[in-house]
Formats: sequence, C-alpha cells, structure tokens
Amino acid sequence: MTASVKVDGAASPAASRTRPGWRRRGEVAALVTMLGPMLVFLLVLRLAPTGIAVVDSLRRDTLLGGDQFVGLRNYATIFTDPTFQHAVATTLVFSLVINPLQVVVSLALANLYTRGFPGTGLWRTLVVLPIAVPPAVSATFWGVIYRPDGLGNALLHSVGLGSQGFVTDSHQALACVILLLSWVGVGYWMLFLIAGINDIPRSLYEAAEIDGASAWRRFAHVTLPMLRRPLAFVLVADTVSNFLVFAPVQQLTNGGPNQSTNLIMFDIYTRAYTYGDQPAAQAEVVLLVLLVLVVVAIQFRLLRAKD
Amino acid sequence: MATAHASSRRRNRVLGGVVSAAVGVVFLLPLLWAVGSSLRPNSTMFDDIARISWRTLLPTSTTVENYVHLVRGSFGLTILNSVLVAAVTVVAGLAVSVAAAFALAVIPFRGSGLVFGAVVISFLVPFDAIAIPLSALLRDWGLDNSFLGLILPGIGNGLAVFLLRQFFLAVPRDLVDAGRVDGLGWWGLLLRVYLPLSGPALVGAGLTLFLFQWQAYLWPLLIGTDDRHLLGPVALAELTAPHNVDYGQIFAGGIVLTAVPLVLILRFQRRFVQSISTTGLK
Repeated sequence: MTASVKVDGAASPAASRTRPGWRRRGEVAALVTMLGPMLVFLLVLRLAPTGIAVVDSLRRDTLLGGDQFVGLRNYATIFTDPTFQHAVATTLVFSLVINPLQVVVSLALANLYTRGFPGTGLWRTLVVLPIAVPPAVSATFWGVIYRPDGLGNALLHSVGLGSQGFVTDSHQALACVILLLSWVGVGYWMLFLIAGINDIPRSLYEAAEIDGASAWRRFAHVTLPMLRRPLAFVLVADTVSNFLVFAPVQQLTNGGPNQSTNLIMFDIYTRAYTYGDQPAAQAEVVLLVLLVLVVVAIQFRLLRAKD
Repeated sequence: MATAHASSRRRNRVLGGVVSAAVGVVFLLPLLWAVGSSLRPNSTMFDDIARISWRTLLPTSTTVENYVHLVRGSFGLTILNSVLVAAVTVVAGLAVSVAAAFALAVIPFRGSGLVFGAVVISFLVPFDAIAIPLSALLRDWGLDNSFLGLILPGIGNGLAVFLLRQFFLAVPRDLVDAGRVDGLGWWGLLLRVYLPLSGPALVGAGLTLFLFQWQAYLWPLLIGTDDRHLLGPVALAELTAPHNVDYGQIFAGGIVLTAVPLVLILRFQRRFVQSISTTGLK
C-alpha cells in the first residue's frame, strides 16, 4: 500500500524542489498511520467475513472429516428447501407491509410535528423516546404486553373485546412483530423527514398560501416533491434494516407459530446454530448481502436521478 | 368574513394540538407502563396489569426493590460489562475514525475519493448481515468470550468516518496553510488545529458509535455468552427464558438499559438530529 500512495502536494514540481526528502516520507507515513487502522478494520470486519461466507457456501463436509468444493450445490439445496422458501416468502410479505407502513406513518407524523401546533416540541419528543429502547428490551417489554394475561388482553377486555392469541396465533404473530418494531422505528425515521421538511424554503409555502392552496394541497405540491431525497433515503434505509430483524423473533416467537415469523435473519441463525448446517447458512448470508447491495444500488440511482 | 377565517384557523390549531398530544401520549404509554411496572412489587405485578385502571400505569405501592435486586444480582454486572464495552468502543472508534476522516478530508493524495468510496460502500453492508461468518473468524482467532471480541466490530464504523469527514471538509483551508507554515506535520495539524475545533462532530460520531454497540444483540449472542462476558441485552433476554420469571427484574433491567442511551440522546439531541440529517442528505 505504501508504494501506491503518492502525496499530491509533495509530488508537484514546485513543492518537491522546496521540500527535503525526509519530509515527503513523513507525509506518506502520516497517511499510512491515519488510514491504515480503518482499512484494516474494513478488511477484517467486512471483506473477510463476506469472503468466508462465499467460500464456505461453496464447500461441504465430506464423510472423511475434510471438506470439498461442491460448486453451487448448497444454493440448490436451500432453494428446494420448503423452510427456506417459506422464510423468503415471509420476509417478502413482512417487507411489503412494514416498510410502506413505517414510511407513511413517519411522513404523516413529520408533517404533523412541523406545523407549529401548540406543544409540538414536547409531543414530538415523546414520539422519539422509544428509539432509545434497545431491540432486546423492546422485545422483552412487548413480550409482557402480548402475554395471555398481559397488557394487550387487559386493554381488549376493558373495551369489551375477547382475548387474542397475539404472538401465539400464527395469523397475528407477524403483525405483533411489526407493531413493536414500528413503535421504535417510526420516531427514528420521522427525524430524517423532519430534517428534510425544515430544509424546504419557507418562501415556497408562503407563495402557495398566497395562491390560496389548502393545507392538503401545500403538502401534495410543495412538501412531497421537495422531500423526494429524504424519502428515498428513508425508504431504502428502512428496507435494509427490516431485512435484518432478529431480536423480537428470537425472543418472542422462535420463528413460529407455524413458521409464520421465520424471517430470513432468524432462518440463517437457526440453520447455522440449531441445525449446524454452516454451508447452507453461509449461502443464505451471501444471498442476503447481495440483496442488500442491490437495494443500496437502487438508492444511489434514486438519489442520483434527481440531480 | 375575516373573523370566520380567524376562528376556523384557531379551531385548526386546537385540533392540531390535540392530535399532536394524543399521538405523543400513545407512543409514551408503553414506556410509562414499563417504568411503572419496574416499581411494582412482584407479588402484585399481574393483578395490576390484568385490570385496566390508573394502577396499570402507576402502581399503588411503589418499591425500588427490583432495582436493588438488580444492583446486587448478576444482572447489574452485565450492565457494567455493557458500559465497559460501549465506552472502549467510543474511545477507540473515535481515534480510528478521526484519523481516517482527517486523512480523507484534508490530506490531498491520489485515490482519496476511491478510498472514501470503498469505506462508505463496504460499511453500507449492514453489520448484522455478515455477523455469522465474522463470528466464525473471530472464534478461530480465540476471541470468543472476550471483551476484545465484543468490542472490535463496533470500532470500524463507516457512518462515524462519514460524519467526521463532512465536518473536517467544512474547516477553512487557511488553517491548514497556517499550520503548515508553522511547521506542523499532518498529525500535528490534526491534534493541535482540527481536534480542538471538533467537539460537536466528536459528540455526533461518538453517539453513533455508542448506540451501535449499546443496541447490539445478535453479535454479543454469537460471541460472548459465558457469565463473565455477558452483556445487558443478552442477559435480559435470558431472564425471560426460564419458567419462573422475575418480571420486576426484567422491567427494572430494561429501564436501565433504555435510560442510558435516552439520557445521552436527550442531552445531545441537537447533535443527534444534526448527524441524522447529514446522513439522510448524503
């Protein structure tokens, strides 16, 4: 790496005439000591594990105790595995519900909390508070809400409704996970959209008001178009983070009932540790990383398209 | 006509205020209920929860026994572990990120943009996605059940580099030239000129590093589950597993694990929002 680094300032003819050689070496040394540690972390923490996942996903243990190259056979195995197929379908349904839901609610709240209504600062802070709750903690709290004798059923009883199964009912479990994730997530994504709304020039709203535009028309014709960039960012970042949901599934449902909450991250985890099938788990990791990269690439396209 | 318009405006304001308040309270309620429950004696825990009344939120007889048990028991130690891991992560992570961000923002060298692009893109792959293969690697290196193994992944944080680089780019170039004239090398320039100016950026990046580590659940589950290296979130999840669950402990532990980041977020709210909006507009 040292050889390929050239300090531009020192390389320009004028500078190299006036500066002694030891100084140039000092500049290269500074560059290496400053960038080196981060590049090592990048190599060890991101590239190496991705490489390991790719290599391991192409190999399988032999009966003799070694392992051998098997090409894409592990991928073929998981694609024909009903559990994996179900996990992919569940993750897809989950994504198609939770992402639009969270983005729309965050947008509505960002709009509500930038209108200057009385007490806005306080009420907005209350919506933001849950973002401090770590995933393992929110799963624990909501676990007590969803218990048969928990707060959820108590609330339903108090308005005369019957008990629900919540996380023990395969028709409700995924919705329960979505609700608890949104309690934390909505406030977080709202902050990005509020920052975006605050960046919109006030003059645009004043002009719209002079034209007699209603609040709804101001939102549709000024706020929404001006928010395209932050909205694209929030949609993509939210989508990526929801591909990685793990804690509530592991703590509350174990992927059940009837695999109804077996999201991809949890499927990878159980494949690797409960069933000990590392090669298949690594193949899933590779697919997940590819999926995330595709989504991130779409983000770059979306954000570039505007400029 | 004008007064009709004004009164409809006032009605809108009142209505907007009411909706704002109602939404805020709905988001607050689960947290308030958890705080109330953490102050409830275990014996009346579900009696109070199962019947909705004002007692659901505010326990009749409050007690701090759950918190006392927490401090005395093994769970308290796991929270100390979390504090240690997060604190070292922030300090080491800032050192690594500040140096890299400075090099990328201030030192002109061929390939600077390329290196920055590589840093950002590789850290855009979320950590949890590659946590399982990484845990295999660190286990081979004997770093399972060690604080080092818990801390390492938190130190390399692309978002922290990004935030600090943005800040360094905005520092006037004149300072660099003045420092160079005074004979400062790049390290001298970073430590004597840039760092003293960087308080706000350090807070934003430090908070990013802290929250990543404090909220981690999958990674500590994969790499550090022996008793001495248990972190708070994993210990909390384990408390719910056995049949005879101590709900008082669970609520008290959850509140402590929430209170630490909450205090930091509220204290540094402006920095937090600022770093968030920088990210959103990149």
